[in-house]
Amino acid sequence: MNIDLILHVLQDAFPAETLEPQAMPINETFVALPPASIYLAAQILVERFGLRHLSTITGQDTGSEIELLYHFWDGRGLTLRTSLPREEPHIATLVNLIPGAAFYEREVSEMLHVTFDGHPDPRTLLLPDDWDGGAPLINE
Amino acid sequence: MRNLLSALFTLLIFPGFGFLFVCALAFQWIDRKVAARLQGRIGPPWFQPLADFVKLMAKEDVLPTGAHEQACAVLPMMSLAAVLTTALVVPIGRHATSAFEGDLIVALFLLSLPALAYFLAGWLSVSVFSVVGGSRALLQYFAYEVPFLMALGGPAILCGSWSISRIAVHQSQTVWMMFVQPVGFLLAFVGLIGKLKRSPFDIPKAKSEIGAGPLTEFSGRKLALWHLSLDMKTVVGIFLLVNIFLGGSFTDLALPTALIFGVKALLILLAFSVAGVLYARLRIDQLASLGWRVLAPLALVQTLIVIWIGVR
Amino acid sequence: MTRVTIPIGPQHPALKEPLSFLLTVEGEQIMESALRIGYVHRGLERIFQNRSYLQNVHVVERICGICSHIHTTAYCQAVEALLGLEIPPRALYLRTLLCELERIHSHLLWLGVLAEHIGFTTIFMYAWRDREIVLDIMEELSGGRVAHAVNVIGGVRIDLDQEHVHSILQRLDELERQVETFLGVVQHERTLQARTRGVGHLSAEQVRRYCVVGPVARASGVDVDLRRDAPYAAYASLDFQVITAEEGDVWARTMVRALESIESLHICRQLLQQLPEGPLTVRASRRVPPGEVVSRCEAPRGELVYYIRSDGSDRPARVKVRTPTLTTLITLPDQLRGVNTADVPTVLSGVDLCIACADR
Repeated sequence: MNIDLILHVLQDAFPAETLEPQAMPINETFVALPPASIYLAAQILVERFGLRHLSTITGQDTGSEIELLYHFWDGRGLTLRTSLPREEPHIATLVNLIPGAAFYEREVSEMLHVTFDGHPDPRTLLLPDDWDGGAPLINE
Repeated sequence: MRNLLSALFTLLIFPGFGFLFVCALAFQWIDRKVAARLQGRIGPPWFQPLADFVKLMAKEDVLPTGAHEQACAVLPMMSLAAVLTTALVVPIGRHATSAFEGDLIVALFLLSLPALAYFLAGWLSVSVFSVVGGSRALLQYFAYEVPFLMALGGPAILCGSWSISRIAVHQSQTVWMMFVQPVGFLLAFVGLIGKLKRSPFDIPKAKSEIGAGPLTEFSGRKLALWHLSLDMKTVVGIFLLVNIFLGGSFTDLALPTALIFGVKALLILLAFSVAGVLYARLRIDQLASLGWRVLAPLALVQTLIVIWIGVR
Repeated sequence: MTRVTIPIGPQHPALKEPLSFLLTVEGEQIMESALRIGYVHRGLERIFQNRSYLQNVHVVERICGICSHIHTTAYCQAVEALLGLEIPPRALYLRTLLCELERIHSHLLWLGVLAEHIGFTTIFMYAWRDREIVLDIMEELSGGRVAHAVNVIGGVRIDLDQEHVHSILQRLDELERQVETFLGVVQHERTLQARTRGVGHLSAEQVRRYCVVGPVARASGVDVDLRRDAPYAAYASLDFQVITAEEGDVWARTMVRALESIESLHICRQLLQQLPEGPLTVRASRRVPPGEVVSRCEAPRGELVYYIRSDGSDRPARVKVRTPTLTTLITLPDQLRGVNTADVPTVLSGVDLCIACADR
């Protein structure tokens, strides 16, 4: 993975944002983007760079917002970070681009009540069908 | 009166139900023990088959709603009755309880009844696994039965008789059919593996796929009788092969008949056990393919050769 | 022909762990399948937030029974990165030794289960008997046959002397002979090939689309192995091959796992023969400075990912675990389409499911 080239292309694609890549352990780079840009960024990674391996999507409640991390990997890691508001968090699905994202999005959806617009199968993945105990990973 | 007592003794003790019951359990134990040792295990103690039978007889008997109660009660008994009746015409030792011209045909007919009962058991006990198992059992039946029948017909033609006893006696005067018709023997052997639903042809009761196949919903006494009928079928089937291909207990050597007959039967049982552990289980379509593309043509060739020799 | 719905699971003889499939079958062919998981979901990611980093080592170990060590390796590696620790070489070698022994164990267990499902009970019995060799070695090293508790944050807690090394090497030789026999069976035995060739096919394109990892991906020709591509623990100083195959069916996966077991045996020998001297742990503080880390390891089933965010306390703010089985589960409806019902256990076995891992 030519990380510098990728970051360069991403910065060109989003001129309004100042991308501040952070180097993280272990051999990772984190880049923050607004939610509306995630699909386009993923599209660039997949179509322009052949970076198709999405390890997983992490969702977490940082207290002030819901943060999503899209962990890509190709010899080294590239994570796209985005923040969603706590009220009605939603973001476009990546399933059309990367079918393997389906299960990861379902899990984030049920654990943090994030809606992935356009997901073909938004059932719960791990929780029972009739779960009414709220979002397990939201910190009240 | 004495005839009545003698008849009862024959039917119930020797070589009837009692003897076959003991043989069935003994053969099951030997088979399990040999298979275990070949697989690096210890195997069950000698009384295990008896313990299993007694335990099953004592258990509760339930069937799912919608299953045909009376039919399901009758089917295992029908299977057992067919097998026991076959034993009447198969020479055990030097005599068959009832021998007549054509008793081979009767025996083969009776031996195919348990397969029908098995299929019906699956069909009538309604659950998905049973029905699928039943249809597989029927498909399997068609795959092995034709080669099996043709293979057993060969010795009959060569020995000039359709009575099992006469075929056995004829071999003591000439030579074992196994040597004259090795292909036929092999076909009968493989066919019997299919008939007894032993590995690698235990497709209808493939545990990992469809529960226990047609017998999934059976329990308690009915299941005990099913297992018993299958074990007795093993015994009767082996005795049949011993008589048709290995010369029965007729020989010029001055040895007790029981010993000769027993040794031959045990050799075939051992061969079954070894064949059972050597292979993976085939799929039903693979077995059907094997049956029609390999076994049936071989049986046909064998039969033609036999007819040609007979005509000469 | 009418369509029948056959339920597989949550309890079924073909499944070691609860999982639910609804197969729509026409005759003997599968038309569609619906998958449901979560029967052993224990909410571990929430539990991690309520325990200290130290306590979590024990929880992480119990995500799965067969791959417990790789979980603790990935977790401890992540926390050690946040703490900025440099782990002593001897500890890294011992950590890697358990990783490889666990890989052999997992593959042998899996081989037995596959054999049992295709009715080849003999191979099942032999594979599980030889598995005992590895289990005995692991028990001697750590005190546990499966949950080894070898990793601590900062290193390992086990050690071995030269005599022990010799004893293990001897048994590894014995095990290699046995695994070579299994390899021979897989390569040449015709009934096994009849049941596994052409079954459960996945193309390389499907593998990439679904982000599949591990032996399943490698059996379809996708050459990815974290031990070589992003070396962790002691892998950078080891010499080994990554096994791939082209056919992409259950038979190819069997070949890959069998050959991988042999490679793992070679790796174990290197580790034991080149074991460096030195301490086993470095001191690790209870409080972890704020930060984030992504840690990846090659579990027996593929890429295992841990993401940890720490807020400066002695408890993690977030621990995210993505296990390799999730990536293969998603391919099952595709693999089962058009397959004979008799091949369902074969397909399910071929992907080597670890539902406890997937559900957490």
